[in-house]
Amino acid sequence: MSCMAKKVKIYSTPYCTYCKLAKNFFTKNSVAFTEVDVSEDEKELNSMVKKSGQMGVPVIEIDDKVIVGYNEAKIKKLLGLK
Amino acid sequence: MIYDIIIIGAGPAGLTAAIYACRRELKTLIISKDLGGQIAKAPDVRNFPGFEEISGAELTQKMMDQAQKLGAEVVFEGIKSVTKEGKNFEVQASAGKYKGKALILAYGKTPRSLGVDGEEKFAGKGVSYCATCDMPVFRNKTVAILGGGNSALDAAIYGSKIAKQIYIIHRRDEFRADEIELKNAKKAKNIEFVLNSIPKEIKGDKFVKSLIIEDVNTKKTRDIPVDGIFVEIGYEVKTDIVAHLVKLDELKQIIIDNTCSTSQPGIFAAGDITNTPMKQSIVAAGEGAKAALSAYHYLQGSKPTVMVDWGKKT
Repeated sequence: MSCMAKKVKIYSTPYCTYCKLAKNFFTKNSVAFTEVDVSEDEKELNSMVKKSGQMGVPVIEIDDKVIVGYNEAKIKKLLGLK
Repeated sequence: MIYDIIIIGAGPAGLTAAIYACRRELKTLIISKDLGGQIAKAPDVRNFPGFEEISGAELTQKMMDQAQKLGAEVVFEGIKSVTKEGKNFEVQASAGKYKGKALILAYGKTPRSLGVDGEEKFAGKGVSYCATCDMPVFRNKTVAILGGGNSALDAAIYGSKIAKQIYIIHRRDEFRADEIELKNAKKAKNIEFVLNSIPKEIKGDKFVKSLIIEDVNTKKTRDIPVDGIFVEIGYEVKTDIVAHLVKLDELKQIIIDNTCSTSQPGIFAAGDITNTPMKQSIVAAGEGAKAALSAYHYLQGSKPTVMVDWGKKT
């Protein structure tokens, strides 16, 4: 289970549908992840903008790789899921 | 591989169609760029029977779960082209190519864009089409909202609690919003109304820095420094990619009959993309069911008949 070792983090806001989709995807595939609500945490928001070069949510971090938006194919690839 | 039905769109219309198609054991694929479409942006929906109050995102997620449990496959991709190949249809999406025996068009309406310089360049870099999603990112910042309807005023009222300063920029001198929305917006101290003005250009470096607007009467321009721009100028149907296959009305909506069939055998349509005047999620869901059942009969080569379909399948 190679994906177990990867560090997964999602930057989200409360009403963002794609964030919900991404979180559902992680739950369905038993991927452990941490979540930060950037509407509540300005420091995390600034770090998200700096890392991704844009202001939209979700931003998903898998180890040191950054994915902007909900891109299932990219997530699967980085997690080594089929 | 050929699917029995390809459904384009994953709002109430497309997802209901998927549920009905799967219950008829049709091999079903949903292609959509997002989940929920317009309703996903609604923080609370209070007119969908069975749910006194539910967020649009949660409602469509429930529909999606139900469709997937019944066997629907889903890919999140945009559509590039739709063509007829013999009796089948071929859908070229952003990542893959998919073949189906029947097609249900249920991708509703798309947010209208401004069409000014800088809009595309700064999309996601300060320009947003979803206030409920992205407004929280603009805490203590300056934000312009473009539009004059309920959604623009809603965004402004919501934004006034988060952002430092809000500008509502509207091309007319009056709003086509509900009185109560307007009253609430006027009460907020940090909302400035800029009327009779249209956007001309969005400027910035890496992110949005300012918005240039023009007064429609005096033609004078003004450069407003902003961090965020929310486009709330309504929705439009985008049917150009299927215009060679199905008949459209003068608003470019797909013309359907009372079985949700289009002018093209094998293509069905449901929801806001059709010429049905009531743009409501429950109407869209109902049409999704009709479209799926019509597609089923088309695939069976039979006429629609009354058939009982509820409860657990045995």
